[in-house]
Amino acid sequence: MEGSFAVWTMFALMTAAAVMAVLLPLARARTADGGSDLAVYRDQLDEIGRDRDAGVIGAAEADAARIEVSRRIIAAAERSGATALEGAGGRRRVAALAALVAVPLVAIVGYGLRGQPGYPGQPLAERRQQAPGQNDIATLIARIEAHLAANPEDGRGWEVVAPVYLRLGRAGEAVRARANALRLLGATADREADLAEAQVAAGGGVVTAEAKAGLERAIALSADHPKAGYLLGLSAEQDGRPAEARAIWSRLIEIAPPNAPWLGVLRSEVARLGPADAPRPTASDIRGMVEGLAARLEADGTDFDGWLRLVRSYSVLGEADKARAAAASVRQRFGAEADKIGQLDALMRELGMGG
Amino acid sequence: MSPEIGHYALVLALALALFQSVVPVWGARKRDAALMGTADAVALGQCAFVAIAFAALTHAYLVSDFSVENVVLNSHSTKPLIYKISGVWGNHEGSMLLWVLILTLFSAFVALFGRNLPLPLKANVLAVQAWITAAFLLFILKTSNPFNRINPAPFEGRDLNPLLQDPGLAIHPPLLYLGYVGFSMSFAFAVAALIEGRIDAAWARWVRPWALTAWMFLTAGISMGSFWAYYELGWGGWWFWDPVENASLMPWLAGTALLHSAIVMEKREALKVWTVLLAILTFSLSLLGTFLVRSGVLTSVHAFAVDPERGIFILAILIAFIGGSLALYAWRAPMLRQGGIFAPVSREGALVLNNLFLTAACAAVFVGTLYPLALEALTGAKISVGPPFFNWTFGPLMVPLMVAMVFGPFLAWKRGDLLAAAQRMMAAFAAGIAAMLLTFAVTRGGPVLAPVFIGLAAYIIVGSLAEVAERVQLFRAPLATTLQRARGLPRSAWGTAVAHAGVGVMLIGIVGETCYRQELIVQMKPGDTVEVAGYQVTLTGLAPVQGPNYRDVVARLVLREGGVDAGILEPAKRVYTARNMPTTEAALKTRGFSQLYVSPGDVETSGSIALRFFYKPMVLLIWIGTLVMMLGGLLSLSDRRLRVGAPKPAARRAPAVQAAE
Amino acid sequence: MTTTTGPVPARRGMTRKQRRLTLIGLALAVLGVAAGLVLYALSGSITLFHSPTDIVEKNVQPGQRIRLGGLVETGSIRRGENMQVSFVVTDGRTSIPVAYRGVLPDLFREGQGVVTEGVLEPGRQFRADSVLARHDETYMPKEVADALKQQGHWKPGDPAPNPNAAQPGASR
Repeated sequence: MEGSFAVWTMFALMTAAAVMAVLLPLARARTADGGSDLAVYRDQLDEIGRDRDAGVIGAAEADAARIEVSRRIIAAAERSGATALEGAGGRRRVAALAALVAVPLVAIVGYGLRGQPGYPGQPLAERRQQAPGQNDIATLIARIEAHLAANPEDGRGWEVVAPVYLRLGRAGEAVRARANALRLLGATADREADLAEAQVAAGGGVVTAEAKAGLERAIALSADHPKAGYLLGLSAEQDGRPAEARAIWSRLIEIAPPNAPWLGVLRSEVARLGPADAPRPTASDIRGMVEGLAARLEADGTDFDGWLRLVRSYSVLGEADKARAAAASVRQRFGAEADKIGQLDALMRELGMGG
Repeated sequence: MSPEIGHYALVLALALALFQSVVPVWGARKRDAALMGTADAVALGQCAFVAIAFAALTHAYLVSDFSVENVVLNSHSTKPLIYKISGVWGNHEGSMLLWVLILTLFSAFVALFGRNLPLPLKANVLAVQAWITAAFLLFILKTSNPFNRINPAPFEGRDLNPLLQDPGLAIHPPLLYLGYVGFSMSFAFAVAALIEGRIDAAWARWVRPWALTAWMFLTAGISMGSFWAYYELGWGGWWFWDPVENASLMPWLAGTALLHSAIVMEKREALKVWTVLLAILTFSLSLLGTFLVRSGVLTSVHAFAVDPERGIFILAILIAFIGGSLALYAWRAPMLRQGGIFAPVSREGALVLNNLFLTAACAAVFVGTLYPLALEALTGAKISVGPPFFNWTFGPLMVPLMVAMVFGPFLAWKRGDLLAAAQRMMAAFAAGIAAMLLTFAVTRGGPVLAPVFIGLAAYIIVGSLAEVAERVQLFRAPLATTLQRARGLPRSAWGTAVAHAGVGVMLIGIVGETCYRQELIVQMKPGDTVEVAGYQVTLTGLAPVQGPNYRDVVARLVLREGGVDAGILEPAKRVYTARNMPTTEAALKTRGFSQLYVSPGDVETSGSIALRFFYKPMVLLIWIGTLVMMLGGLLSLSDRRLRVGAPKPAARRAPAVQAAE
Repeated sequence: MTTTTGPVPARRGMTRKQRRLTLIGLALAVLGVAAGLVLYALSGSITLFHSPTDIVEKNVQPGQRIRLGGLVETGSIRRGENMQVSFVVTDGRTSIPVAYRGVLPDLFREGQGVVTEGVLEPGRQFRADSVLARHDETYMPKEVADALKQQGHWKPGDPAPNPNAAQPGASR
């Protein structure tokens, strides 16, 4: 608000200066103090004299030139006598009125068409101080987004930005980016699996029918694709077929290279399923898992990622009120940490529950 | 500082320009001193507000204010400081703002230092300047506003192209603009004179310093652009007859003609109508040059269709100013009284000849530059008019001009004696023939005409200086007399001699480079030696070098001349890693005014590299010649006659006044 | 035309009218020479731009000096002894083989735009004496861009017509 006031003050001062630039010379009593051609011709006469003294031109030429210049002087003197320079009060008043009314009017209307007086400058250094920590990734994303806005057909750009979105919890945008990359660069098992992964994240961890269809296409392209296999296993588990999930994951463990990075995840998932025959929670028990998560966070609320999962889960289950309540307690607990609140806001926007 | 302040300042400048477009002209009509007197302060105000706008934009670039669209599109927070500054005018919007800033600066100079001008003339001149300012400010605000904002602001800008980060590119446009816009002054004087319906010898004297200033800046701008191309583009060419170059050469040719015809007008009151026309044409060509380069028409005729609003606005400005001034000329010029008369063989006659050849050459360049554009717009056929066209048209027109250029100063005003002049030019003829024979004896190969042109260059240099030598009676009078006369000689006479000699110096460079250039393309392996222009060049090795944001493959060449070490050259093939963009870094060895230029090609898998050697004799004289020409302009500008205007002479001597009675 | 004030010093042979006629005659002579030069140069030194398809459709005759522009066909660059290079210029529909000797410009790459100048030889072979590539990655030689647009291969705003085909360096 104060910045805007300063801008308006500057505008007023500048307008006043512009009006004064017109009014001051009008007010000053004015005589015709301009130069005239006479000075030039007199100088030319001097020059002829100098040239003749120096011997550059002969006496006859000098005389001829002198006559020529003298003729110009006479003509100029006649003219200056004929034109008396006077002022008239009426004209001055019109000019003054134009300065007082037209100049500010043109300025305000012209500026009003495009100007945004309330929008202060945004020097980069200040903005970095205001939002520390966030700006590295924000800078990266802004740059890629600007590039993609100009080149929406750049599949590689979409591919680069997608995992960043996913890491920031902007799953909805990750889905869009993955889908664009798939469309532009062509289908591969990797791209199908990546799209499904984003869809699962957007669904709060639930493997939707859409995601499953994509996973099956991925497996059709590459039967041993680890990410697709893992997610299909998850899908089977959520559909209440843990045995199938175990079978899929176990096979993946068998065929994986000995130091594959995803081995750890798969082993812990298989371990989570427990002994082969034990009954495991099915999709219908998800609500129970969510309640469990809520209870754990109630007891120990420091797990920020857990909170985000909880908000997302409630939202996916259609319990918007509970999601909002969870979000409110996140704000209470992490209110001092700007970047976390930023992540929460991003999630809420993505879930369509406002910022 | 908020970018909005810059935006508002720009609109205020427009409001003042509109006021100044009308009120002083009205005042001049009514002979109202008060109304005419407003022009000065308003011109200063305009200049101040445009300067504020320019400062605001520069500030936005310096602090990387990405809420300004122009900054986002043309800058980046990691750019070095100097390229953040040059980025201000490295784009369409910013360069137009710079153009207007220079325009208002020239107006402000008239307002401050034009005290010697008659009040009505000054009021009209400033009003015409304000018309141009208002048109360009409208154009900027309507179609190319550099202060458009983006909300929310992105965190980073988009421009990091390493090729555009070059000191030559940073300085070149402002110099060119100072030249282009400087010619707006002679245009404003011409139109003001037409409005008043009278024009006389004094007018020419008032216009000359402005035209001379503009000419010097334009010469500097063109010369610098050519030097940059030679150094940076990696091919060793210095003039390509590229449309962008032609766009700046045309106003230069017309402006040179204007400078010379203004002399006739000042001395003899002749050629008035022609001089006024030249003043109009020169600025029209400057406008055309600005727009040809800026509108993108040169890269594609279709650029107009992509941004029709901008294109139509540009066309409207061109038609209004060129068409309007020519119409005013057609209406008013017949009323101008004819002045002094002269014989065909006279100083005036020589200057007329100069004007004829310069304008004919300008017209030839005009046809070669615009004919392909017109043909494509009309029929769709794509042709390229290349160097052969210009060599065939421009060259033959320049030769008689250069021959006549030396004669001119030897001829008397009104009626000259060709034979007497030729006798006084014996030294020049002798020097020309001697230089021709010497070149013929010393050089091998090269076109037959080349020694003739070297002779022509020597004739120009000696002839130009001989005229001054004769006037100071060098070797014929005692030294003291000579020195005294040299001091008494008007600076403009020195200026003429020096500027003309500069043309000769440049000609030597051009002939040396084009006729005696040696070129050698060889495939070399480490250890190989070739012989180029008296150097034994040995490739000692190829080494990869890692730079901050690029990778080089450096070819290390050891030079020996007659068995003596003559230095090392390290041309490189460079790849900017981030964008995988290859560039060629040529290496140069200077010997006197000549240079050995090495440009590397691709490295073969067999370990050999293609190297392109150019030996360019006397090549540096091309740019040294333009410097000498500019020095001539500077000498002429410092002549006391031109200063009659600036600081008003305190007292006039009595005899002059008596002569007036 | 108005006359000058004062007597006309025409005592040295030529009258004012004669002087003016001399001047006008001189001006016309110079302009005539200039116009002649321009016409002569226009008839002799203009090179027409053609795309490979133009050459076939317009049946350009061998021996004519032209500019040929298009994309360097992927996998077509062959380097021989003594800096001989051959490659194929294509606009997607038609291809013309080009032979050239010398150093290629920095940004000469497969799949990228190129303009070559030279002479068409019998059998639709092109012998180039100069090869121009673009200066930076957004620049596309104007004629090439137009020709490719006609063939529907390139849209303005694309950074390059075919980024996937860009294989820097020599391929043999």
